[in-house]
Amino acid sequence: MRKGAMRRRDFLKLVAATGAGAVVFTGCDPSTIGDGSPKREFEIQSPDLNPQDFAWGRDLWYATAFAGVSGGSGLIARVYEGRAKKIDGNPDYPLNMGRSSALEQALVQELYHPDRIGGPLALNGDRGSGKYKALNWNDAMNQFNSMITSAGGSVLLITPPVSGSVANIVGQTIKAVGGQHVTFESDDRVVLREAMNRVFGSPRFPTIDLANAEFLLNFGAEFLSDWISPVHLSMGYGEFRQGRADVRGRYWHVGPQLTATASNADKWIPIKPGTEGMVALSMAQVITSKNLAKGGADAGSIYQGITLDDYAPDKVASKAGVTADQITEMATMFAQQTPSVAIAGTSAAAHTNGLFNLTAVYALNYLTGAVGTKGGIMLNPGSPISDTLPESTTGTSYKDWQSLAQKIGSGGFKLVMVYGANPVYSLPSSIGFKDALGKGAKVVSFSNFMDETTVNADLVLPTHVTLEDWGLHVPDPGPGYPIVALQQPVVEPFVDSRSFADLMLGVAKTAGKALPWDNNEAAVRAMVASLQQKGGGNVNATDPKEYFVTVQSQGGWWDEKAAAPSAPSGPSKPTAAADPKFAGDTGSDTFSLLPYPTNSLGQGDFAHLPWLQALPEPISTGVWTTWVELNPTTGKKMGVGTGDVVKLTSPAGNMELPVYINPAAAPDVALVPFGQGHEFFSRYAEKRGQNVVSLIAPQMEAETGALATAGTRVKIEKMNKKVRLSRFEGSVPAYQLEEYPIIEIQNLNQ
Amino acid sequence: MANRWGMVIDLDRCTGCQACVVSCQAENNIPINTEENFYQRRAIEWIRVERYWEGEYPNVKARYIPVPCMQCENAPCEPVCPVYATYHTDQGINMQVYNRCIGTRYCSVNCHWHVRFFNFWQPKWPDSLKNQLNPLVTVRSRGVMEKCTFCVQRINHAEQAATLQGRDVQDGDFTTACAQACPTRAIVFGNLNDQNSEVSKMVASTNRGYRLLEDLGTNPAVVYLKKIDADPLPDGTKHRYFDSEQASTAKSLAAVG
Repeated sequence: MRKGAMRRRDFLKLVAATGAGAVVFTGCDPSTIGDGSPKREFEIQSPDLNPQDFAWGRDLWYATAFAGVSGGSGLIARVYEGRAKKIDGNPDYPLNMGRSSALEQALVQELYHPDRIGGPLALNGDRGSGKYKALNWNDAMNQFNSMITSAGGSVLLITPPVSGSVANIVGQTIKAVGGQHVTFESDDRVVLREAMNRVFGSPRFPTIDLANAEFLLNFGAEFLSDWISPVHLSMGYGEFRQGRADVRGRYWHVGPQLTATASNADKWIPIKPGTEGMVALSMAQVITSKNLAKGGADAGSIYQGITLDDYAPDKVASKAGVTADQITEMATMFAQQTPSVAIAGTSAAAHTNGLFNLTAVYALNYLTGAVGTKGGIMLNPGSPISDTLPESTTGTSYKDWQSLAQKIGSGGFKLVMVYGANPVYSLPSSIGFKDALGKGAKVVSFSNFMDETTVNADLVLPTHVTLEDWGLHVPDPGPGYPIVALQQPVVEPFVDSRSFADLMLGVAKTAGKALPWDNNEAAVRAMVASLQQKGGGNVNATDPKEYFVTVQSQGGWWDEKAAAPSAPSGPSKPTAAADPKFAGDTGSDTFSLLPYPTNSLGQGDFAHLPWLQALPEPISTGVWTTWVELNPTTGKKMGVGTGDVVKLTSPAGNMELPVYINPAAAPDVALVPFGQGHEFFSRYAEKRGQNVVSLIAPQMEAETGALATAGTRVKIEKMNKKVRLSRFEGSVPAYQLEEYPIIEIQNLNQ
Repeated sequence: MANRWGMVIDLDRCTGCQACVVSCQAENNIPINTEENFYQRRAIEWIRVERYWEGEYPNVKARYIPVPCMQCENAPCEPVCPVYATYHTDQGINMQVYNRCIGTRYCSVNCHWHVRFFNFWQPKWPDSLKNQLNPLVTVRSRGVMEKCTFCVQRINHAEQAATLQGRDVQDGDFTTACAQACPTRAIVFGNLNDQNSEVSKMVASTNRGYRLLEDLGTNPAVVYLKKIDADPLPDGTKHRYFDSEQASTAKSLAAVG
């Protein structure tokens, strides 16, 4: 453009700002305005209709997989000019069939995150100072190898639950060096796995056949947001509601909180925290006493050692905060509106009696014949080749973390390696994990981000993220038949990182016991060859290369024709009934603290991704911070409203939080989301909100030793401060008018 | 007959998970909504999920509704633009010509659904995150309005592909980013002028269909299917509010009235 010439947009501004604008534009045909018509101009802005030089290259889609924290999904990634642009669900992959979650969509931000660690780092100051110097990989590997050699088998490796190729490589590596491998899993999952073991005879998570169920009774499980396989279960939920012409599934939710998942229920039955198990036993008593059990199910053998008549509705009702009629109605519905299915998890597992709560609920399915049948609980088989591609193992309990922290602190390990976990943030500080790391053991972190654990490391070896790495995963839960997901790199590594599996292969080599594969990709190819040898499944090719490419393009291997595991006739091991115990003052002026995972940040693992930080928590619509949700009447009594700051005090500590007045909060609970309060973890997570874990008293689930995250009571004190609470609510003036409702509702019988 | 692209959103399937929101942001180069944006009530979400309360504890429910641009046939946002930056395509989509927009925001004022967003600031991404930006979607600059386009770049792409095959673009050739992600299949996209399209069949097969603010006569291309309630709350809990603090305000107004 000639210097000084008026740009067309400036001209338009000028004429619109003057009276002439209206004349010019109403008097002319739009095609004579500027240098073309609006239609033509719009096309220029959408380079798809323009010459090649507007958008170079073409897009390619690659199938891959996300092992994730909740079963994971098959993905497809759109790659343009060597850069990943968009993630979607893999339409071929049975667990999510083209669908995806907000978290999976946000994985591209992990790949291109501005605070990703660019290459190996060595500590260059005090532990925790965050001062590091950059190393090249040769020097870093020399340091790493010398640490492994010096450790002489006294090695601890911490990872999330891993399966398939990574589990194989890690398992063999740790065996080679003589160390110990532990997995970090949220406490409610630790309890859930043990419940599955006792009730269904396998620690594998089950599949819930919602698409064919008519009635769902859910005790606290966040199956639509942060529980096991939320995308798979959400797909089932859609079909449960509107997938059949003649049936609409009915969903009742039982629990102390109207959560993101509970808000989708037809009916929410609020109960006192930790009483899920006794309500389930009471339902069993009703079903038995009214002879509503199916197929000769014997409640005596299902609930061994428990006298169900002690849990008759009138004996349980006031303790659980419900009426006897409500319990009877639930039991009758559950037994009569079949196929029905009962599930439990998340908050129900987060008490000192969490295992009892879960086992009591899941055992209800035996009474109605809902185990291994259409519309009920479908058990999952293990890995198709479990020696080559092992299933993931149960996470370590809080009790065991205590022992491990003591062992690390007393010099029991010479080398601690951490991959994909952040125990310093996730574990209560009372466990002393951070201090233990400072007591002499060398610490190596394989993290991509400077998080609370990594900042205590001597050596940081950044590893590939999901979209850069190879892997084979055995999802947990599966779809009811054997399945293996294939993860492949869709782009070149964005920073100077290495594959975690390659680093583990290097460890084994340093220990003088090299594994049979040169690198991770070779291991994955060899393991796919093992699948081919096994036979069956969705891939029909004899040539090994063709077989591998087909697995690659489809995103995995699965065998829909394989027989489902047979359903047991009842629980394999009884679980004693127990009441919940709470730490802290139980006076009438105290509140049950219910920390809850959100659909975006989970328990804080994804707080570094800005799309997820900015995603409103569905109920409160809160973003970017932490808050405490209180009942409106409670708020009024205390003289606090949304934005007022209160101080929560528990036996473990105290914190100040802004209030959000939640019309669905019970009067005696304080709801606080997990996920914020990171001291480190990138520009998007640091110094934001508070970590509610620091309020949780070190109470354990009685049998599994998991942390009872909902077993703490708090006092709440009004502070004379008010802050603005960042939330989506109020961003648009959305009023629901009687005459013009925004959400229209149809009663079932209309 | 020309295609008329439309959307059916089944509120009985929607769980409020907001996978659609992030999918839209990833596809359409929507700036990161910072904490400050929320304080100023200037967050940009081409599709948003609103939450409404019904009743009071313990008889209380929360309801969700995803709200994209309604792509009105008689769009109130169009005639008010002094520079013809709002433009109606022959396929029924209400478009925004970014390089024509001068930011009067008249269109935003005239949109009853509040689905037009103004760029009060130049959108910023750290350099590394720019690698994710979709090359087929313009990054909007400070001072212009932006809105849902029904993923027009996907429409254009599908039209090109169909032309190369010697045919017209058909229902099912493509879908929008929000509909593609939706785990419960609550959002379905397609051609409302094609009687055999999934959206047309969905609308024809139920008595649950309605349009948001239908009485205004703008003929939106987004059709909602009513939420079904098998267990309605007891009488007297009809009011629904977006902001929890509005509940007490509205009640006191009702008492006065």
